[in-house]
Amino acid sequence: MIFASFEIAFTQSIWANVYLVALCLVYLIPTLTPKRIAWLLFMPVIPILGTWMSFYFHGTGDVWHTSWLLSTRIYAYIFLGAIVTFTMPINNLLGSLEQNCHIPSKFVYGTLGAFNFIPRVTQTVKQIQSAALMRGEVLHAWSPQIFFKAVLISLRWSDDLAQSMQSHGFWEQQHRSHFDTYPMPLWNWAVALLALGGLQVVAFSGLG
Amino acid sequence: MSKELSAKNLTFSYEADSPKILDNVNLIIQANTFNILYGPSGSGKSTLMKVLYGLYPEFAGTIQSGQVLIDAQDLADLKPGAIVKKIAFLFQNPLNQFAMTTVDLEFKFTLENLALPKADMAQRIKTALAQLHITDLRYRKIDTLSGGELQRVALAITLAMDSQFIILDEPFASVDLTSRQQLLALLKDLQVNHGKTILLADHDLSGYADLVDHLYQFDQGKVQEIADFSVVFAKFQHFDQQRRFPLPISADDCVLNFKDLSYGTGESPLVQNANLPLLQGKMVLLTGANGSGKSTLFKTLTRLHPFSGTIYYQQEEIRKIRPKQYAQKVALIFQNAQMQYLRLTLQEELDLSLAHAHHPEIWTPAVISDQLQALHLKGLEDHIVYQLSGGQQKKLQILEMLIVGTPVLLLDEPLAGLDMASIQVVLPMIATMAAKQQQTIIMISHQLTGVLNFFDYHLALADKTLSYQEVLAYQSIN
Repeated sequence: MIFASFEIAFTQSIWANVYLVALCLVYLIPTLTPKRIAWLLFMPVIPILGTWMSFYFHGTGDVWHTSWLLSTRIYAYIFLGAIVTFTMPINNLLGSLEQNCHIPSKFVYGTLGAFNFIPRVTQTVKQIQSAALMRGEVLHAWSPQIFFKAVLISLRWSDDLAQSMQSHGFWEQQHRSHFDTYPMPLWNWAVALLALGGLQVVAFSGLG
Repeated sequence: MSKELSAKNLTFSYEADSPKILDNVNLIIQANTFNILYGPSGSGKSTLMKVLYGLYPEFAGTIQSGQVLIDAQDLADLKPGAIVKKIAFLFQNPLNQFAMTTVDLEFKFTLENLALPKADMAQRIKTALAQLHITDLRYRKIDTLSGGELQRVALAITLAMDSQFIILDEPFASVDLTSRQQLLALLKDLQVNHGKTILLADHDLSGYADLVDHLYQFDQGKVQEIADFSVVFAKFQHFDQQRRFPLPISADDCVLNFKDLSYGTGESPLVQNANLPLLQGKMVLLTGANGSGKSTLFKTLTRLHPFSGTIYYQQEEIRKIRPKQYAQKVALIFQNAQMQYLRLTLQEELDLSLAHAHHPEIWTPAVISDQLQALHLKGLEDHIVYQLSGGQQKKLQILEMLIVGTPVLLLDEPLAGLDMASIQVVLPMIATMAAKQQQTIIMISHQLTGVLNFFDYHLALADKTLSYQEVLAYQSIN
């Protein structure tokens, strides 16, 4: 997947992008609800339309090809991203990265800890806004004060989180065992290679 | 090899030149004993607990001299992974104990850190949960658990880790009385039947008389073992006091009114069907056990917490008032002073409050100057508010919220962390200015000595019921 992302960043093939979107759709079918399909297709309409129009009307060279290439590329990235976020919970994704890609556990659990703070973050931002209202100030989502105060609070939280993780035996250079494992069976590799092979065929077939 | 946790000539401070929090502490905790360390709030008990566990100096401060030994090894020479196999730690705020989202995931995270094989992990999780009778909590989300349940889960995890020593830092600060008694019985059981060693810090000694093997007093950085602790426990009994309050007679002049008000946390209700008025221009003291839902009531009244039933502000349902307008009627002094700050310097903070004051005519430059003088904040006008001391921050926060002068002002533990001299300035100031501005004050305070004379009514939260009470029974320790 990472390889495919790099590849479409440099190839000039519209059909390679379309191929990727189609492939991702097939992979996503079991998890897709009508709402999610609509979300995936229509959320990016404005940036894609913007990209298409700016390259079509202000581009140089083959404007038809460039505008379609870049707008389909956005879709391809969105669908590649959807594969990651829609098909597995963040716990499993990070667990798999730790076990299969040997990403440092400090990064994996730091990220996971941060994700687990999201409900508290929402609650605290609400509190900051409400505290400001009580003093007659309206803080919008883009007010610098919110960010300043959020940074102050997150510094304290990060310290608390580090202490709690350490108290439950977590430290950097340790060897960890795994309760849930995320093995990559051989057929997974075979499917990945086949899909990538297909991408090469489409990308270099001269279809444009 | 002796099984014990000890501190030898231990001196600790947060900065090299700041006051010593621990001053030549000597302490020996022997295996399989039940130990209590008591001392006033804010005296540095938490610091000692964290130094004995090795979180400090790693996360803050420096050991000026001396050492901590576990089983005759210097704690400073041990890796964190080796320490947790010997010592477990329960935090004051149980939420700070957990990094994962569910009980199950937290157990697995912890046991994976100890590099245990899968079968062993599964067995330990089952056994630990069963021992504390919380098997049904296994797949619950952390943020739906009550304070008592959280501490029970935290304790179960220490059992699964199989550490010999369990250090608990004010573990009952957000736990209700019943849960506290159950947890204490569990701790005693762990000591007697499972060979654990308990070291628990608390400012309140009630309920410990029959459990404790060694009692230590912590005061001004020094630890002293109390040989005849029956005397200390007896003293705690001695100062039981009572105080009578009038009950509100009519609800004619009410500013807030509750109709069937109910709220809770997670799945547990805190208050059910409260029906009562809050009267205009009165000062009300709100009491209730830890974890009973006092702070949550304030969050409910400021619409930061969901509730069922109806709350009226002068006959108008508060859900129908726009947030910006409502915030000008009912304001909260948060426990955390920094939550309230919006500017950088003390003077800018005061100016902001003055710009939005409901009664600006009262707050003349002379009045403000007098108040700053009384609060010992004079001369600090150009200081950055975040760099003031904890006590100064709290005093500034109270003053600036009084200046705003909303018709209802809620104060959540405003006196915690203030010394007696400051309390004697702050309370009369609140009473005088609130009277001038016709404000209704509701205050949560654990500090009751020297405080009660200022209040008109006593509102109690107990057994999920909110009601005005005539009698307030309390203990004065000092």
